[in-house]
Amino acid sequence: MDLVRHLRYFIVVAEELHFGNAAIRLGMAQPPLSQRIKRLEEELGVRLFDRSARQVRLTEPGRLLLGEAREIVGRVDRLHELARQGGRGTVLKVGVPPDLAATVLAALVAAFRESSPDVRLAPAEIWTADQVTALAEGTIDVGLVRHPVTAPGLTFGQVLVQAQGVLLAEGDPLANVGEVHLADLAGRELVMPPKEGEPGWRAEVLAECRRQGFVPAQVHEGAGLGLVLAGAAVAFGPRMELAGLAWRPLLGSPITSRVSTAWRAATPAVGDFSAAAARTLKESAGMTHEGAAPVRRVSRRPGMLA
Amino acid sequence: MSTPAFDQLFRAAGVTGWLYAADVDTGHDLGHGADEPMPTASMFKVPLLVALCRQADAGLLDLTERVTVTAADRVSGPTGISSMLDDVTISLRDLAYLMIALSDNTAADKLLGRVGFEVINTMLEAFGLKETRVVQGSGEMLGSMDVDTGHAWPFVDPDDITRLSVLDPARTNRSTAREMARLFGMIWRDEAASAPSCAWMRGVLNMQVWPHRMASGFPYDDVAVSGKTGTMPTLRCETGVVEYPDGGRYAVSVFTRSFGTALIQPRADAVIGTAARMAVDHLRR
Repeated sequence: MDLVRHLRYFIVVAEELHFGNAAIRLGMAQPPLSQRIKRLEEELGVRLFDRSARQVRLTEPGRLLLGEAREIVGRVDRLHELARQGGRGTVLKVGVPPDLAATVLAALVAAFRESSPDVRLAPAEIWTADQVTALAEGTIDVGLVRHPVTAPGLTFGQVLVQAQGVLLAEGDPLANVGEVHLADLAGRELVMPPKEGEPGWRAEVLAECRRQGFVPAQVHEGAGLGLVLAGAAVAFGPRMELAGLAWRPLLGSPITSRVSTAWRAATPAVGDFSAAAARTLKESAGMTHEGAAPVRRVSRRPGMLA
Repeated sequence: MSTPAFDQLFRAAGVTGWLYAADVDTGHDLGHGADEPMPTASMFKVPLLVALCRQADAGLLDLTERVTVTAADRVSGPTGISSMLDDVTISLRDLAYLMIALSDNTAADKLLGRVGFEVINTMLEAFGLKETRVVQGSGEMLGSMDVDTGHAWPFVDPDDITRLSVLDPARTNRSTAREMARLFGMIWRDEAASAPSCAWMRGVLNMQVWPHRMASGFPYDDVAVSGKTGTMPTLRCETGVVEYPDGGRYAVSVFTRSFGTALIQPRADAVIGTAARMAVDHLRR
């Protein structure tokens, strides 16, 4: 006996509670359907339907077994579905910034796996500008981009913000103060993501630095912290503990990183990833909702125009 | 977090220092010889300013009243009406502005004549500022130096310095770092006078022109520093409020006495700012 097929008949009859209607739905005649339900009842040793009244009703055991039957049929269907895809499952191609902390990426993968066990995540490390191109070309399905970013046809998820601090070599004199002001960094060199990769972020940060009195002697391109470790440059980033480095908050939080997911075509997997990303970035990376940007006050000391 | 090494910092600048800093809103504080009685020099103009405002709040005087300052009123001093040559007709509140922003001695003594020592000291007593007293005007302070040394300006001889009563808190205007900072905290919390008067006082204190002391420790566009300096031979002090971009505000008072008697000592001026920055940084950790 093909148990799975018999269970399918059982489910349809239970849904219709009418042998004639169920037979039509199954595309078969009514007598063979009745016979097969009877076969199933013999096999299981219980009566599934009460046919004594004018109306067909589920018996108590029938009601109990219906849920199990649905579960079994569902799993068999999924087995076939997976087999059709060559055992690979659905793949969601995701772009993430190369300087995203490893712990955050790990948390992101874990959170998505939990919410969408059927979909396999294929993350690629790509800077924002390249993600925009990849989204347009369909090489990735969803990205995690750094704002400001403008591109027609892109939809963005919830924007999360994070105040950035400054990373200094452990021996730097500024490593001893509680907070560093951007103006304190005057004369130092800076490491930033490449201009081609993060044009918007880079322009925004350098403009703010200049406004506050820090014009880097040189801006190095890269995501590595080797130059910082060597005491040759400083970098902006979230709080981190790394041997040989000191992280200090920036006075007045002048530099904030704003990130969100971005996609071109919305699919359930993209939606799930977007939700998982927002949750994870808040929980693991200490990001918050984008609030109103604080109004920057410029103190007016006597002598400014004197 | 251990207290910053203030002694070392002050010594490197060639001074001895006393300091008190407090978060205006939480009261979280830090002191270094905070209760040592010190001469206040020109900082006495701040209790005078507060008393003037309270008199106006009480309807006892009108700050827009115009007075004429003549040669007979003039007290020596390097700024404002003190350095002018002709009579000036000006409102009481504009005199107060000159007294605070430029430390104009003539403006201060003219206002002191209207308010009186008793009103100021009764107010200080009521505020619970027991170590703070105003007993001399600018003219008296300057005059005492000639009497104490037997000669006129300048006073750079170390023997002269030891004779100056304006450097002895028992014989001149006096306070402590803690009490001066407390008075500023009261102005910033609208407790010293009516709220509009306190707001006006904050504005005037913010217009102080000297950038070389407390303000030098906060060389940032988005940090506001308001304050009042005081200077006598070897004595340099300033009390003020530092306001951070995140809304944090800190009342800080720093007194220094320099080892050397030279009048121009940029490091001694700047260490007031450096020490204030270290104190505020400590309070924010």
